[in-house]
Amino acid sequence: MSAFLEVKNLRKEFGGVVAVDDNTFSVQQGERLGIIGPNGAGKTTTFNMIAGYFKPTAGTIEYEGRKISGLKPHKISQMGIGRTFQIARAFGEMTVYDHVLTGLLAHHLHLRPTAEQHERVEYILELTKLAAFRDNLVKNLTIASQRRIVLATALGTGPKLLLLDELMAGLTFVEIDETLEELRSINEKMGITLIVVEHVMKAIMQLCQRIIVLNYGKIIAQGTPKEVANDKTVIEAYLGEEETYA
Amino acid sequence: MFLQQLINGIIIGASYALIALGLNLIWSITDIPDFSQGGIYVITAYVAYFAVKLAGFPFVLSLLLAMVVGAAMAFCIERFLYRRFTGHGRIQLLCAIALFFLLSNLAILFWTAKTKIFPSYLPGGLTLFGLMVSYQRIVVLVVALALFVAVYLFIMRTKIGKAIRAASQDREAAEVVGINISTVNSAVFMIGGALSATAAILISPLYSVFPTMGDLPLLKSLVVVILGGFGSVAGVLIGGLGLGIVESLGGVYISAAYQHGFTFFVLILVLLFFPKGLFGRV
Amino acid sequence: MTDTVLTKKQRQKRTRTRNLIIIAVVLALLAILPQVTSDYITYVAVLAIIYAILTGSYDLTTGYTGPLTFCHGAFYGIGAYASALLTLKAGFPFWVAFPLSGIMVFIFAAIIGYPGLRLQGHYFAVTTFFFGHFIYLVILNSVSLTNGPMGLRNIPPPEGFLGITFTSLNSSYYLIFIFGVIAVAFLYFLVNSGIGKILISIRENEELSQAIGVNTALYKVLAFSIGAGIAGLAGSLFAHFFRLLHPTTFAWMTSEMVVIMALVGGLGTLIGPIIGAGIVTLILELMRFAPEFRFIIWSVALIAVLIIEPRGLMGLVRRIQGGKK
Repeated sequence: MSAFLEVKNLRKEFGGVVAVDDNTFSVQQGERLGIIGPNGAGKTTTFNMIAGYFKPTAGTIEYEGRKISGLKPHKISQMGIGRTFQIARAFGEMTVYDHVLTGLLAHHLHLRPTAEQHERVEYILELTKLAAFRDNLVKNLTIASQRRIVLATALGTGPKLLLLDELMAGLTFVEIDETLEELRSINEKMGITLIVVEHVMKAIMQLCQRIIVLNYGKIIAQGTPKEVANDKTVIEAYLGEEETYA
Repeated sequence: MFLQQLINGIIIGASYALIALGLNLIWSITDIPDFSQGGIYVITAYVAYFAVKLAGFPFVLSLLLAMVVGAAMAFCIERFLYRRFTGHGRIQLLCAIALFFLLSNLAILFWTAKTKIFPSYLPGGLTLFGLMVSYQRIVVLVVALALFVAVYLFIMRTKIGKAIRAASQDREAAEVVGINISTVNSAVFMIGGALSATAAILISPLYSVFPTMGDLPLLKSLVVVILGGFGSVAGVLIGGLGLGIVESLGGVYISAAYQHGFTFFVLILVLLFFPKGLFGRV
Repeated sequence: MTDTVLTKKQRQKRTRTRNLIIIAVVLALLAILPQVTSDYITYVAVLAIIYAILTGSYDLTTGYTGPLTFCHGAFYGIGAYASALLTLKAGFPFWVAFPLSGIMVFIFAAIIGYPGLRLQGHYFAVTTFFFGHFIYLVILNSVSLTNGPMGLRNIPPPEGFLGITFTSLNSSYYLIFIFGVIAVAFLYFLVNSGIGKILISIRENEELSQAIGVNTALYKVLAFSIGAGIAGLAGSLFAHFFRLLHPTTFAWMTSEMVVIMALVGGLGTLIGPIIGAGIVTLILELMRFAPEFRFIIWSVALIAVLIIEPRGLMGLVRRIQGGKK
């Protein structure tokens, strides 16, 4: 019985540096999984391997029983895995509406978008509270909004699994709470599995059911937020960073 | 015949190498394929020509004058044009190409399309392996080699040279460490301009001066840079000489008509099959 | 204040109607042009339409999808010579040679584009520059095939049908005018369709585009090849209209000219490059007595546009409109 996403003995080396060191973990469908760790722990590298940006040096990643490690990013998206980006990325010259629509078109190309597609865009815009900006050019909006637009676009691709890369960075407390609510809604109402990489502890502790902690490329702890928060090795790893993130 | 072509190839290859050295430095630091060097090549050739013809300058002086003009032109192009578009590579490339055309056509406008014969400055020659090689040809190779050594030493030994090396490896890291990128940029452009000018003036007495004289040397030198993949100074020299020789011999033994096309064909093939360049540093 | 009186939808409808009227008027004017103006102006108009097809197709590749290329003139030339040779030497009728040459150029471009578009940074752009020059050299030097610098003459005009012949200037004009309308309409529908959005996404942020499932490599090659193919068709039209081909018509200056036209008009707007083509063709003809000046003006114009408003005329228009709000 294979889990939704299976990561086995995943390893990534860059030159002589080992960024991800022989990690194995699995993700159940419908879960909200968090990945945390100090800077350089290998979180984003793991992420990027799942999303197809890097080829693992060793190990495999399986999604719904099929091997996806080494596949190109667009193929992985077509299989139902969506992602957001740490660095601000967007189709600046598009309107918000078109931006989300493009996500749908990328998976179901029509010369003329169908009525269902238009409905879906409206739905997603409502869900992500972007409806008011629908005709604005994305490049004219704030970075926080642009991140939300990227999330909305990813939703448009109809994913079963969403990889969220530091979605909360730089957000105010109010914005964080709003985003958490949206994410919980996406997970519970739309049944999308979430894997979240985060530095904002409060957010990840509140959102995720299970947390994996990485340090120096290795998994040092796995468990519920409470278990992980009280884990000695985790606390040690964050020593000195505790003040920032507690 | 073979020997004759070989020597021709070496000479023209040396000129490619000189231009390529400058292009290499510029491209590796600023990420701009500086097509304008082709324009600098042409303009400085005319400057030297008129210096000799009208002002009666001795060759060496006109060469130095041309190098200064070349460096100045390159400096201005970088300072007043490319620098405005830092971070917009496409615009910089478009500017470079526009300048290339602009300068060549300005030459046509000012000095007509008629070929001008650059006066010989060092008549005579020696006999090498039964072949008569003019002193002016030997000078090309000697000066080219000297300049290569000079640039090499400059890059390796001087403070600015070290800054250039650092910047060519990692521009952002260099800035973080406190290297003044503006100075580095100006320096490499001036070097490039001076080198292109030198190549032009050395070649002019051998092949005359005409407005489109910069077209092919620029393209060939770009080929050297791309195929060489931003390698070492020595690599550029060998690449330039090599291309000159291959071209020259190919022109005789394969086809004169396709001599130039052949070079580009090879470049296209290589790039298509080795997208990382021959030395993996694209 | 008037904005609040009309709803967004009503404003859009008004703009659309206004645009349709403008297009209808322009088309009508172009349709009656040969009847009311001199042969010379008709001739210039033919060139303008051909250049419009060239820049429009260039905009598909570079304006909408992203990659900068410098070989559009070469695609134009391959199409021209291919079509001419297919009719002259292989005996095909124009109506077969015309689509065939478009397909040939499409395939050519796909072969170059498939590996070429993977190149990082400026390498692809520079490669297209070399490719363009290479094609010119091949055309120039394949004397047995193309007559090289002596030019290819006596290219037959398109064969007539239903009593219509294409030997006169006016009939050639109408033929090219109709193809121009078809080409521009095709491009217009393409860039405003779902495919157009995908292309724009690639231009705007290729990584994000891949992340949402777009096979960007495939689309880039398609956009490049379709743009090239249309340029090839334009070349064929030119060959059978002008009936004489010379290699210098397709040298790198032509590719440069296409870039300038598109840029001056405004990359990525389709209408911009087409207007740019019209303007530049006009200047071309006004200055035909001083070719060196033409090249200089073009180069200066290119730099000026880059400095003042890299988004070209349409960018200026948008700036002004933005000010109104």
